[in-house]
Amino acid sequence: MSLLPEYRDPSKKKEYAVIGKSKPKIDGPEKVTGAAKYCGDLKFPNMLYGKMLTSPYAHAKILSIDTSEAEKIPGVKAVITHKDVPSKKYGISPARWDENCLCIDKVRYVGDKVAAVACVDEETCYKALAAIKVEYEPLPAVLDYRHAGDEGMPNIHEEYPGNINTEIHQEFGDLKKAFEEAYYVRKDVFQGQRAYQSPIEAHCAISMWNGNKLTIYSTTQSTHYFQYYIAREFDLKMGDVRIIKPYIGGGFGGKLEPTGLEFNGAVLAKITGRPVKMFYDRADMFYHNRGRHQGTYELTTAVDKNGKILGVHANFILDGGAYTSLGIATAYYAGALLPLTYEFDNYKFDMYRMYTNLPACGAQRGHGAPQPKYAFESHLDNIARDLGIDPLEIRLVNARKPYTTTVNSFDIQSCELKACLERVAELSDWRKKKKEGMPKNTGIGIATGAFVSGAGYPIYRNDWPDASCMIRMNEDGTSATVYNTTVDLGQGSDTVICQMAAEAMGYRYENMRIISGDTEAGPMDFGAYSSRQTLMSGWAAKRAGEDIKRQVLNMAAAMMGLPPDDLDARDGIIFSKSHHHPTKWQPLTYEEVVSQYCKLYGPLIGKGMYKVHATGGTFKGAAVGTSPAYSFCVQAAEVKVDEETGEIEVLAFYDVHDCGQPINPMLIKGQVHGALYMGMAETYWEEVHFDPKTGVCLNPTLGGYLLPTALDMPKIIKNEIVDSYEIVAPWGVKEVGEGSTNPTMGCFRNAIVDAVGVTINSTPITYEKVWRALKDKKEGKQPAEIKMPPPPANAAVKPY
Amino acid sequence: MYIPDFEYYAPDSLDEACQMLAQFGGRAKVLAGGTDILPKAKTFSPIAPPQTPLPEILVSLKNLEELKKIEYVPGKGVVIGALATHNDLVNSELLNKKYMSISEAAHQMANNQVRNRGTVGGNLINAVPSADLPPILIALNASIKLVSVDGERVLPLEELFLDVCVTCCTEKEILTEVVIPDQKMTGSNYIKFGARRSGALAIAGVAVAVEVENNVIKDARIVAGAVAPTPIRTKKAEDFLKGKEVTAELLEEAGVIASGECKPITDIRGSAEYRTNLVRVLTKRALRKAIDQGHV
Repeated sequence: MSLLPEYRDPSKKKEYAVIGKSKPKIDGPEKVTGAAKYCGDLKFPNMLYGKMLTSPYAHAKILSIDTSEAEKIPGVKAVITHKDVPSKKYGISPARWDENCLCIDKVRYVGDKVAAVACVDEETCYKALAAIKVEYEPLPAVLDYRHAGDEGMPNIHEEYPGNINTEIHQEFGDLKKAFEEAYYVRKDVFQGQRAYQSPIEAHCAISMWNGNKLTIYSTTQSTHYFQYYIAREFDLKMGDVRIIKPYIGGGFGGKLEPTGLEFNGAVLAKITGRPVKMFYDRADMFYHNRGRHQGTYELTTAVDKNGKILGVHANFILDGGAYTSLGIATAYYAGALLPLTYEFDNYKFDMYRMYTNLPACGAQRGHGAPQPKYAFESHLDNIARDLGIDPLEIRLVNARKPYTTTVNSFDIQSCELKACLERVAELSDWRKKKKEGMPKNTGIGIATGAFVSGAGYPIYRNDWPDASCMIRMNEDGTSATVYNTTVDLGQGSDTVICQMAAEAMGYRYENMRIISGDTEAGPMDFGAYSSRQTLMSGWAAKRAGEDIKRQVLNMAAAMMGLPPDDLDARDGIIFSKSHHHPTKWQPLTYEEVVSQYCKLYGPLIGKGMYKVHATGGTFKGAAVGTSPAYSFCVQAAEVKVDEETGEIEVLAFYDVHDCGQPINPMLIKGQVHGALYMGMAETYWEEVHFDPKTGVCLNPTLGGYLLPTALDMPKIIKNEIVDSYEIVAPWGVKEVGEGSTNPTMGCFRNAIVDAVGVTINSTPITYEKVWRALKDKKEGKQPAEIKMPPPPANAAVKPY
Repeated sequence: MYIPDFEYYAPDSLDEACQMLAQFGGRAKVLAGGTDILPKAKTFSPIAPPQTPLPEILVSLKNLEELKKIEYVPGKGVVIGALATHNDLVNSELLNKKYMSISEAAHQMANNQVRNRGTVGGNLINAVPSADLPPILIALNASIKLVSVDGERVLPLEELFLDVCVTCCTEKEILTEVVIPDQKMTGSNYIKFGARRSGALAIAGVAVAVEVENNVIKDARIVAGAVAPTPIRTKKAEDFLKGKEVTAELLEEAGVIASGECKPITDIRGSAEYRTNLVRVLTKRALRKAIDQGHV
């Protein structure tokens, strides 16, 4: 299907031995039997427990902190405040390091870190925290991001006047001209909500020192970033910081940056000379947050009479919360990824990410993309309706083609978006349903999405390889161990890395072992974020595997008396490609060859690395959103709306993905189902609520913050992948999973609008919201309009 | 997360339990499943302090086997022991046969873990407005028995609830049983409306019981939950229905009247206006179902 077949791997149609097969998860038995140990399960001799005291005010000066009473409580081993920790500001986005281990002069949200204790048990921690006396002078708080930049609002960070955290203005092509020449121009404003990742496993860190060497067991998505940032905070050499990742119970972007648990835990461990375990409970997780930004999204699009997009103006404002976290990237991603799925030549992107006195927002599955994509897919359906064009057709008209470059300089190689659209149309019987109509109050909606397969540039500027990998054969050849620092969050990266390594080696998946996520055991890899591991860490694993195979074939060549070029390996058997004889040149096993190698030369080790090629343009912010390859997907949903209650039943859901060549189809299905789950959850249910006067979180529990249950999932889920091969990726792979959240909200919204013809421009689309929209429609009332807030008073540039 | 220290007793007889409560007074609370009292007393973090502090003393009823039974007593009715768990109600053959609507209501509660632990008595005495059992039990005219050292009293269940989490059960009393009297009602059921299909508190819930003969409603009881400080009977709607022939319009009208009788609040789960609408819709639907399915 690709336009340039000569670039396709000639071996593609070959039957692979290990990849492309639904191999069982390598950690499945440990996880289902409970043998797998997570950070919270770990205990060490003499270990203390640590907890943090957090601010009850959204915005307040700290006048004094008195820890004397807390220190007297038996079992309290250390009490620390800002005086005991480095005052160096930290953060994950280098351009804005704005967070302290413990607040110095003021607190900036309910939940901000004020003090920490280490005690003999958890109960004593709470007693100690209750005995710390903090005198605050409450300040007026900024709780509505839409007015955070208004004249006269209190300033949250002195360094950032007017509460502007990030301001972006990008323009490509000639948008004014496109608008002037357009057949039709439409403007819509949409709004999204604050959501939280809600991983099953709570954050935890166990810190311990051996002289000047710091070891931290942590729930992390990136051992390298933790190692780097923790070394930086404490002025340690990176080699003196060891980060170990035990099994992880989900992250979804929320565990990418070190937290007060690591920084303060390390200080408490140093002071007490004992291991200190610090951990969040569910409420702490909601306050630490780093979840989905909420925002208001104004989109203005010019089209010709066929619905072909001529130009787009995206004007967005985000609620960043009290600190930057990964928010600069979020802000850039929000606009940068919009031109991926549809081709247009004129684009303007304006963005303000505002500081507020609420928990900091960060990267959540899909990063900055899902809410803007929801807005754009809704907006595109509105345009299609205005022009009388079928929503499928308007997407086909605009769909990106392979080997193109986006208006903002992203190079696209493989892209089977059109094939995805056509296949979803077939699976869902779209055209028939559109022609013949659907039963009353039922509707169907469609939306597209695209995502990076790994960020083109690391989070902090460096030129280390993006991924590296080492494989060591057990001396007798009966097993091979992969050493790297990838992070299996549950998505199955350990499994696919081992599949890819085994395929490259010509070895057996069943004999693969992996030690991932220990900075002292494996070479550097940036970890699990931006959907990077299958492509980037996969390259490193493939190359390490090929390095092993080369050495094994060389050894076997000597043993068999044949040239190495004539040999190949598959399933652990080394054989001649040309010599077939009943007695001579008999195939050898990996066991025989590796044993011989190790006896003669010692350890048999393979290594591999991967470095992204130069990507993207040269304008400010051009790096964000670049990637070696982009995945594409299309989703459609059929819903039924209960007119009287607004309740929505999802009748069927369709997902077709261009994720390159699959490594493990079962895991792809798992990713798509998981993404659907999260996408549905953000469509209908999830919303973190805050008291609008105090900034206190109103639902920081799993009883109050509703996630869907198995019963809420659609009964019919059809997902498929299309034939696709990415030339820059190992075996043609691309991301799947994170990007699948991008179309979901939009396709559900479009299905609801199709079913009942109401205007709903904000998420979550609660049943009450649908009911109210229906009621307004019945009563002939205009739906409540969402207004784009004015640009911040302090903005450097204000959009036209 | 931890629970503060408390004194714990698990008496072997009801008498002993009553004596303990009389002796400890306000310092003690009864433990009957613990799915509300224990989580609410836990400190999850300094930022989420306990919602309700734990009392000094907990008197667990777990050894009182006689309070776990669900049985039919001729002349009295179906007796549900206060320590029957929600899943006991779901799985009871007797209830499945005689009052399927109670089993179904119990099945809509919380999640399987809570249904395994939580008890009927705990659910009633806890008295949260969104509780799922009271509406259907009141619709079926249930009575309860409260026992203390001073003796026992029997009263209609609907008189138990005074306000949000406040009942007329005194510190000394133990709720021992719920009795569903023999019915003339021909149909009943409870419809819960939550934001998701499992493990969500009711935004509103309506239970009805009707006696229908030759398509004429002879008697009706309608009880709404989560739309007032206590479960409420919508008596105007009940009276409106009596003696009338069943039509779609009649049920619609009954829903409108019932919705006028509730006094919901606005919170993050739903606005007062939406809840009022739900009472209208759920009343109509529950009536239709009770009439059509023809069993209680």
